[in-house]
Parts: sequence; C-alpha cells; structure tokens
Amino acid sequence: MERLYEILLGGFKLCLKMFLIIIPLMVCYEFINRSNWFKRAEELLKQPLRLIHLTPKSIIPMVSGIFLGIAYGGGILIEEAKNKKINPDELFLVSLFLSTCHAVLEDTLIFVVVGGKFWWILGPRIILAFSLVILTGFYFRLRGGNNEG
Amino acid sequence: MNIIETLQDGLRKGFKTSFYLAKILLPFYFLMELLKGSALLSYISKAFSPLMKYFGLPGEAALAFVAGSAINLYAALAIMIPLNLDWKQISIMGLMLGIAHNILVEGAILKEMGTKYMFLTLARFVLAVFAGITVYRIMQVF
Repeated sequence: MERLYEILLGGFKLCLKMFLIIIPLMVCYEFINRSNWFKRAEELLKQPLRLIHLTPKSIIPMVSGIFLGIAYGGGILIEEAKNKKINPDELFLVSLFLSTCHAVLEDTLIFVVVGGKFWWILGPRIILAFSLVILTGFYFRLRGGNNEG
Repeated sequence: MNIIETLQDGLRKGFKTSFYLAKILLPFYFLMELLKGSALLSYISKAFSPLMKYFGLPGEAALAFVAGSAINLYAALAIMIPLNLDWKQISIMGLMLGIAHNILVEGAILKEMGTKYMFLTLARFVLAVFAGITVYRIMQVF
C-alpha cells in the first residue's frame, strides 16, 4: 500500500516535471522558430549541413536532441517531425544521429561525477554518430533517396 | 513577429504537447516501476554476465546495463556504484549506456516522430555493444 502510494506520487511528480519543463521549452521554441536571426542561421548552415546530408529543417531537432535529449526534447522533436514535413530519409538520419548521441551534457556528466572521463564517454559517441549519418546518407544518395538535397 | 501571438502559440503547444507526452510516458513509468520491483531484470542479466568480460567489465555490470536500458541511467548508477569500477570501466559503461538507455520511453517518442523506431532501438543495442568492445580494445592498447 505504501509502495503503491509511492508509485502514484512518482507518477504525479513526473507529470508535473514534464509540464514545468516542456511548456517553457515550447515557448522558447516558438520564439526561435519565428525570429529573424534563426532564418539567417538556417541560410548560413545550409552548406555545412549538406555535407552530412541534412537540410536546415533538421537544425532544431538536432540541437534539441543533442542538448536536451530525446525524452525532454521529445516535445520539440515530435512537433518538428509532424509540422516541418522533414522527408523520411532525412528524418531517419536525424533519429539515427540522436539515437547514438543525445543528451550529451547530462548523460556524460552523470558518469563523470562517478569517476568516468568526459571525452572517453562522449568522444566515441560523436564519432560514431557522424560516421553513421555520413555513411547512411551516401547509401541513400546511391539508392536514389526522397529528394535528398 | 508578434510577441503576444508567439507567446500564446508557444503556451498552447506547450500544454498540448505536455498532455500528449504524459499520456504516452505515464504507462511506461508504471511499467518501469514494476520492472524495478521484479526479478525479471536480474534474470535477464544472468544470461549476459559471462559476456561482460569482452567489455572489460565484471559480470555484475550486466544488471547495471540491463537496468539502464530498460529503466534509466539512475537505476544503472545505483547498481554500478557499489561495484567500485575503475575510470576505464565507468567510462565504457557511460558510453554504452549513453547510447542505449531509457530504451522503452525513447522508443515510444521515436515512434511518435514517425521513424523506424524498432530498427533504431535494435540498432542502439548493437551500436552500444560495438562501441563498448571497440573502446575497450583501444584502451588496452594505450
């Protein structure tokens, strides 16, 4: 009974935490999405992103996933995937990258606190993520993907 | 950009998304609490214990990895800390768990995004194992 109460309380705390984190995040996201400097950033990043087979549509999901993680950034990720109509191949590349390399600060620091070394934890993830995206992107190009850049 | 309108849209999306995600995540939360209390995870990890040596880890680390995948990083840490691993082993755990943690919840989100979530979830395990073995080998050279 005690345990059941604990679990229910935990569930309630989880909901609360989500509202408190996601609402401010979505507000920031709306502002960024409509700002002029973001539009300029999209222009500037167009070419570098092409090198890894991505378009400016992926900027927000990537940045959210990398820094916030899939769980907290989830709201933004789902919103972007549905609204920006990112093409399936590109969406796959983004999720592949994020699956390998997300929440880089939080996840890595947790292990550093208990004795791990930062770059041994994060370095391989970054290298692996980029390698996979670049290779898979080439594979998509070769097999004729859905209008890839 | 109209500030008031942007703020309203942001708040609206925030509430909508929070409800939406809560509906998806709450069941998983309860599922994970059940897993924590059950013997299922320790049962699964017994099968993996002998394989830990390929990552330079003790057999007991298997439970930490299984808990990290199925539940979350904090569950994994709780199991890992008493093992007193050295920095190399902790780093490898961090690397592997970084890739493959919170699999159930994040799988659900990947599904909502419309991606090939089954493939990606499986890939995360494969990548975690690959990364772990590779980095362990590299560490041995140095």
